[in-house]
Amino acid sequence: MADVILEKVEKRFGDVRAVAGIDLKVRDQEFLILVGPSGCGKTTTLRMIAGLEDVTSGDIRIGGRSVTHLAPRDRDIAMVFQSYALYPHMTVGRNMAFSLRLRGMPKKEIDERVRQVAEILGLSEQMERKPRQLSGGQRQRVAVGAALCRQAGVLLFDEPLSNLDAKLRVYMRTELKRLHQSIKSTMVYVTHDQVEAMTMGDRIVIMNGGVICQVGTPLEIYDRPANRFVAGFVGSPPMNFFDGQLAEDSGGLTLLLTGGVRLPLSRTDSGSGGRRVVLGLRPEHILLAPGIRPLSEAGRAATRQEARVRAMIEVVEPLGHRVIVTARSGAGVFQMETELHASLKPGSETDLWFDMTRAYLFDAATEAAI
Amino acid sequence: MADDAGTRRLRLLDREAPLGYVLVLPAVVYLALFIAYPFFMSIYLSLTDAQAGNRKWTFVGSKNYSKVENYQILASDFVLASVPTEAEASALVAARGEGKVVTAADGRAFRASLVVGGRTIPVLRMDKEDDASFVGGTILSDLDWRVEKTSSGFRVVAHTPDAPITFGPFPDRAALKRGETETVLVPATMKAKANGKGVMQDPNFLLALKNTFKYTFGTEIIKLCIGIPCAMLLNRRFGGRRVLRGLLVIPWVIPIAISAQAWLWILDSTYSVINWCLVHWGLLAPAHIINFRGDKDWAMLSVILVNVWRGFPFTTIVILAGLTAIPDEILERARLDGANAFQRFLYIISPMVRPILMVSLLFSVIFSFTDFNTIWIITKGGPYDQTQVLSTYAYQLGVNAGYLGKGAAVSLFMFPLMAVMVFFMLQFLRKEA
Repeated sequence: MADVILEKVEKRFGDVRAVAGIDLKVRDQEFLILVGPSGCGKTTTLRMIAGLEDVTSGDIRIGGRSVTHLAPRDRDIAMVFQSYALYPHMTVGRNMAFSLRLRGMPKKEIDERVRQVAEILGLSEQMERKPRQLSGGQRQRVAVGAALCRQAGVLLFDEPLSNLDAKLRVYMRTELKRLHQSIKSTMVYVTHDQVEAMTMGDRIVIMNGGVICQVGTPLEIYDRPANRFVAGFVGSPPMNFFDGQLAEDSGGLTLLLTGGVRLPLSRTDSGSGGRRVVLGLRPEHILLAPGIRPLSEAGRAATRQEARVRAMIEVVEPLGHRVIVTARSGAGVFQMETELHASLKPGSETDLWFDMTRAYLFDAATEAAI
Repeated sequence: MADDAGTRRLRLLDREAPLGYVLVLPAVVYLALFIAYPFFMSIYLSLTDAQAGNRKWTFVGSKNYSKVENYQILASDFVLASVPTEAEASALVAARGEGKVVTAADGRAFRASLVVGGRTIPVLRMDKEDDASFVGGTILSDLDWRVEKTSSGFRVVAHTPDAPITFGPFPDRAALKRGETETVLVPATMKAKANGKGVMQDPNFLLALKNTFKYTFGTEIIKLCIGIPCAMLLNRRFGGRRVLRGLLVIPWVIPIAISAQAWLWILDSTYSVINWCLVHWGLLAPAHIINFRGDKDWAMLSVILVNVWRGFPFTTIVILAGLTAIPDEILERARLDGANAFQRFLYIISPMVRPILMVSLLFSVIFSFTDFNTIWIITKGGPYDQTQVLSTYAYQLGVNAGYLGKGAAVSLFMFPLMAVMVFFMLQFLRKEA
């Protein structure tokens, strides 16, 4: 059992509260991702778990044991650093064996374990090389290998893929996930890349400004963002936001955006007229024509809540099978993701359809989801 | 046609290579005049018998470097007898008062034997009967006879208290070889000594060579001992660190002529401030004040300390550069891996600093090995040549004494020695990298 529990953990650097008293429970054998913009406190949190930063107040428990005042080496953790932190003067094998040698493990056992780990990571051929003779991806694997050799209960990753090129990053993402499935140790992984977070994590912790905004599975986070920050952080291209106001008219509640754009609301529980809200709509929920979503005829009729918005196409960015369109409407500039279509010409004016069944509403003041 | 020439000239002006040559020309002239010329001149001088005041220099080849005229054997610690018990050995020593030397013809030479306590010990074989008898007598009555314990018993050794006994001269190596086996007939410690006019046969040169190594390595070791902790200290974050880093380089940037003068006063035989402090604090009796520059044991240490004082800032700065180049994450990983401060220093920091340390050592060794200023200002090579190094000896021999050829030979001797040292250090560096 190596679960990690953070209780009211706080970290101050002088007057700055880098981590403002967070509570978090990482379950045993879970792949948990800490994600957020730079300066949000995610790395500080990880470093406090590792013991590289002192905790200002609060308690950290690993496997039921309080480690708040323990040295890093006594915490049953291993860590993979952003820059890999390989010892440049040691061979790959020595790099991986270093922590075991310090622990005074018999040489035969060390060799055996290093051999096993090297095999898992496909490093057996590189054991006698020095780090600088390796490619970026190989170094990354050595860093992971050195951490694996420890057989620690908790593995910590500090943005391990950010120094790799795009292709390798995608590959290593899969590799790390596969690794987690085979070794079954608890992993806490820090990244600023929401794609990494969405694809790799069992659960995601979204942090901003030293506090946790939301904890949940990737789908929960994507489908039910707790607030405007989370909604805007997850998804690429990001969600579009429009400032607006609820208005009551004969047909019920409608949403009045700036520029006189009036949209029907499918929900009735969003408050009363006059409330200032923010409409959030993902790029894929803005459509070129009404009802091109592949739904059954009946289902479509039931859920059809599409609103027509006149917009001017500004930029068209083809991605191959999809295209990202930047358009300007009375309510503001927004992006949509759709299939390539002849009507999408920069400078042309066209009707677009907002799928209001997939719309999110946030309170303008608190930014919490409504 | 005129146009064509015009564009060609323009093109010449436009090209960078000619400009580069023009800019570098003064430096080339300087190097040729003040470095290459003196260097080749000194090579030439070292191959002639040039002397101050002589008009004609004759070419003498390598004579200035090495010219052996004859060899001598320096023998000491003659093992006179090996006996099973201590009593027998003591008896033999006690009987030496009644012992005598007997000489007998042995071929063309004469053999001297000691007759002591009923034993006849053949010890020497020399060409002249007088010599054999005289040296035999010396061994019998002047040397210090001792009983020593060996693995299988005891032996009597005639120990030479100060100077060893010399045999010879032998004209060449073959004669020397024969002499080693045929002259001294008992086991003894024997050393061959070459006499001649070349610097290799000059005992002062050999002393200067030894002193140069003492001076260089003494300096380097102490510099490292001071430089490494200083660099680690300055690598920590604390208030005033930048000021301290700035202050650190002061010894290094002060002209040596000035700082050595200050040291001259600090190390003064009468007014030394160090002595004053030690006496003042009651650590030293006024009668025993240290003569830093005049005492043969202190002189070398004094000049080494001055050189260390001057050179350690450079070592410190270089090591500091090496330390700051170690990424924080590596040290953090070492902490996570379970290394304590000492282990981090041993396994991570030192190996990572070593390459740059070797570079600084390389510079610093060259610097100390050829250093003239410090020693010349502080001790001028004295007392009794105890701080004489190659550079000061070359100056004394070549300039003060006027033996230009020999002086040049001494100074050129530094080249092959340094080349060898630099070669091995670079070799080590390459292996590291």
